[in-house]
Amino acid sequence: MAGSTSLIARRSIRSRLGRTISIASAILMGVAFVVGTFVLADSLKATFEGLFSDINENIDLEVRQELAFGDEAEGVQRDPIPLEIAGQIGTIDGVREAVPTIGRYAQVIDGDGAAVTLGGGPTLGVTDTEDEELSTVTVFEGRRPSADGEVAIDGATAEEADLGVGDPVQITTDAGTFEFEIVGLVGLGDTEAFGGASISVFPLETALEVLGTDGKIDAVDISLEDGADPAAVRAAIEAAIPDGTEVITGEELSEEQADAVNQFVDIFATGLLIFAFITAFVSAFIINNVFAITIGQRLRELALLRAIGAAGRQVRRMIYVEALVMSLVATVLGIGAGVLIAKGLTAVFNAAGAGFPTSGTVISLRTVAMAFLVGVGITMLSVVVPARRAAKIPPVAAMRPELGFDTINARRLVGGTVTLVVGALMFVAGLFLRPGGTIGLIALAGGGGLLIFIGVASVSSTIARPVVGVLGWPIRKVFGTAGRLARDNAARSPRRTSASAAALMIGVALVSAASVFAISLRVSVGNAFSTSLDADYVVTSDSFQGLPPSVAAALRDVPEIAAVTPIQGSAVEIDGEQKAIGAGDPEALDQLIDLEVRDGGSLADLGEGDIFVHVDAASDFELAVGDPVDVRFPNGGERTLTMTGVFDDATFVGNYLVSLDTLDESSDAPRAAFFVVAKLQPGTDPAQARTAINEALDDLPQAKAQTVEEFVGAQEDQINQILVVISSLLVFAIAIAVLGISITLALAVFERTREIGLLRAVGMNKRQTRRAVRWEAVIVSLFGAIVGVVVGSLIGVALTLAVPDSVIEGLSFSWPTVAFILVGAVIAGLVASLYPSFKASRMDVCDAIATR
Amino acid sequence: MSTIPTISTSPGSELAAAGAVDAVKRYGSGDAEVRALDGVTVSFESGKYTAIMGPSGSGKSTLLHCLAGLDDLTSGAVYIGDTYLAKLNDKQLTELRRTKVGFIFQAYNLIPTLTAAENISLPMMLGGTDGDKAWVDEVIDTVGLRDRLKHRPSELSGGQQQRVAVARALASQPTIIFADEPTGNLDSRSGAEILQFMQDAVRRHGQTIVMVTHDPVAAAYADRVLFLNDGRIVDEMLDPTADSVLEHLKNVGE
Repeated sequence: MAGSTSLIARRSIRSRLGRTISIASAILMGVAFVVGTFVLADSLKATFEGLFSDINENIDLEVRQELAFGDEAEGVQRDPIPLEIAGQIGTIDGVREAVPTIGRYAQVIDGDGAAVTLGGGPTLGVTDTEDEELSTVTVFEGRRPSADGEVAIDGATAEEADLGVGDPVQITTDAGTFEFEIVGLVGLGDTEAFGGASISVFPLETALEVLGTDGKIDAVDISLEDGADPAAVRAAIEAAIPDGTEVITGEELSEEQADAVNQFVDIFATGLLIFAFITAFVSAFIINNVFAITIGQRLRELALLRAIGAAGRQVRRMIYVEALVMSLVATVLGIGAGVLIAKGLTAVFNAAGAGFPTSGTVISLRTVAMAFLVGVGITMLSVVVPARRAAKIPPVAAMRPELGFDTINARRLVGGTVTLVVGALMFVAGLFLRPGGTIGLIALAGGGGLLIFIGVASVSSTIARPVVGVLGWPIRKVFGTAGRLARDNAARSPRRTSASAAALMIGVALVSAASVFAISLRVSVGNAFSTSLDADYVVTSDSFQGLPPSVAAALRDVPEIAAVTPIQGSAVEIDGEQKAIGAGDPEALDQLIDLEVRDGGSLADLGEGDIFVHVDAASDFELAVGDPVDVRFPNGGERTLTMTGVFDDATFVGNYLVSLDTLDESSDAPRAAFFVVAKLQPGTDPAQARTAINEALDDLPQAKAQTVEEFVGAQEDQINQILVVISSLLVFAIAIAVLGISITLALAVFERTREIGLLRAVGMNKRQTRRAVRWEAVIVSLFGAIVGVVVGSLIGVALTLAVPDSVIEGLSFSWPTVAFILVGAVIAGLVASLYPSFKASRMDVCDAIATR
Repeated sequence: MSTIPTISTSPGSELAAAGAVDAVKRYGSGDAEVRALDGVTVSFESGKYTAIMGPSGSGKSTLLHCLAGLDDLTSGAVYIGDTYLAKLNDKQLTELRRTKVGFIFQAYNLIPTLTAAENISLPMMLGGTDGDKAWVDEVIDTVGLRDRLKHRPSELSGGQQQRVAVARALASQPTIIFADEPTGNLDSRSGAEILQFMQDAVRRHGQTIVMVTHDPVAAAYADRVLFLNDGRIVDEMLDPTADSVLEHLKNVGE
């Protein structure tokens, strides 16, 4: 039994090669994207893990300030420790060498005075040691810096800035801008770069002065004598170092550093993975549709099998075997393609300056298992319904094909509606009720979203005929008979039209949902910034390290400026929960940002030791003006601040605000500003002000001064860019959708061989034939796009409403985006029609009519 | 010649390979009701070749489909061997078709993706057996397909395709073979070959065949001809010749 089903299945795969290739490519694309994402993430992680353990290979122990809570990956900063600790540790038995180290912000400036960045990677100034074992860099040209005024930089930065050994260079740090001579070029391990970071290496004495640590160091790296007992030495060190400092091993350090990077890799990979699964989901629709159509075309063949004694079960199994074989082959190919995608993505991101290491390709067992789960899983699920249908073909249909299938549209409509309603309820419940927190949100909203799409895909067949009629009307007017045929053919089987359009519907719906959400966000963000800012200028940094205190200091000296303050921040613990506090100069803030301070209070009340709390946080913690607020800083220091005000607008400073003095008193950790805001003297000429500000920031190339309008525009641009990225990631899904329409039409052309032959015989020319197929494709894709825009916009509205009003206030809708999508759908239809219309027009008239 | 003929053998007797008792098949209801079969009682003797003739719409194809278990009756009963089909579920019906019934259709007889040899042994493969190898070989030689076994249906002429279909029907040694206008799509020479093979199978190997046809020449190969009109059997002729059948049809026409 098994022999005959698998024989027929294999033969069917081979002899319907075109269809097999189409289905296989839909499976392949879905699998490849999933595999590519996993391979990329795994390879990056493995590389980073290897990288950090290489760097720290010879560090046995490290001493540093202990964090009271949180970790550095969350942006919690360590205070520096006194230099003397290194000397003390050096004298402990079993310690071979104890090297003080510093790693802080340091920005290389090229000959034109521009900051050199490697695609937004960190720019760091570090110390190094002559001690072979504890040195973390490899000098590949010149030598290690040893005297004051000497520096070594990494090869990638040198190449980017066109600098070499012997050249003078300016470097900006938190303490100012200094002139150095490059004496060496360094790299990491075997490479001449630092994996996307720009590095300057200073002698320790120089670093203590220029890196803004006030003569302190960040850590002590320790190497032990051969044969020393690590546990005993560690205990001895722990006894010798002051409270608030800690000892960790080199392995712990490597793990921590790798984990910090891997957190970003995970977020990045999860984002990609969502799109990979969307792609796979869309392929499932195509596979289902193509199987459903081809089973219709094989009706007589399948009925014949039933007539000569094949059980319904055998027919069903035959379809399953066909699907299984195809999906296995496609999955194996998809894994290969996925590896290529991973390499391609690495190249794309590196071209954008991400600085991903390119070495090594990790294909884990989990990746392979996931590939088969996705490839084989979606295919088998997609053919369940077609296979069941095939099994129900009555044997007598072999002789009377008109008996065919009983179309059970009523059941389909009910099933589709139920699926749609359940999906919508789950989606809304997930967004607004959030049972079980984030996981509940993702599970319910994600699952609900899938059901919505499945439901819409089956229900949309009931509206396909009227919508196609309307869409086809102008086409019929313009293209005459060919246009009329296009419309009639698209309306002929509403079920098939809606099924072919379903994949595109999903892609378009996702783009529409993202666009409603992003546009609403953009408008709200723009409004929020515009209304809360009374300032004229906002200074920002391209680097995620933010702006050094020197930026605000430089602007304070500009006569055209009336008020200026940095907005700094720190992680703290309030009531055992990690929170972010903002800090600024109260007097300046009062003139620059409208915090909407409540109850007649003013920023003048924010003295050293005071705290302002946003109205929402105040009600959460049941705080009122005059209450004490216990705040714990990362260095373990605890302070009781007095709440002296409540404010309404958290756009710029977050939920908690203290003065710069309070923050300075509490922690020595390096503190960069997210923004520096400034207001001009009344009546200052804007051009003159801009010149003055740019001159003041001349030495601080990382600082970018923008007027408030420019700043708001830049924020809006960022949101637009996110929308563009999301749309680009949906390109795979949309490509599969176009492929799907193309396959369906090609199958339809095959089905209508006689009909087309007849039309050609009675005088329709090739051009008209092509035209009829082409505009049918356009009608189908427009239908998908219209349903997609409607469904997607509703989803987008739900998403937007689910976000608190403090982030998104009000809905915004963009008609140009809709117009853009519809034009795109017409183009998609034209692309999809290329192959089927070619096939239709090339048909041999005699053969076509002779076909039985 | 308008009396209802007597049944030569009674239902369920050992000599009958298949038959129907008061078979009624109605399509539609009310004014639109069509009685495709209007109380047919007939039996087909084992080892005999029976032709069923009648004008279009007389119900001959419906009778064949119901006898073969492809379609079900509105009332009455059909049996194959000692099995009443109404008592069978789909699984048992499938099993019956595979083992006890062979089919030869007018057109589109073969699975296009399988070779001639695979098409011939398909019913056995579906049952998970190889069948009787020697017999299958003999059948292949009889129909003269030895050198065409590896060919796909699309590479064979219409006559060759129908020979494959005959071979497939014979290969599993079914209780009865039903043929629905087997020569309808063939030229007269290929048609004669097919009819000869079928007659030989009955004469030499005791196969039972029931064939629906329009063609008096084809009917002449049979041992017995049944005439159907308006869903009823109206006449019967034993040992027909082409001329006698034609004569009969002319008489009915008058």
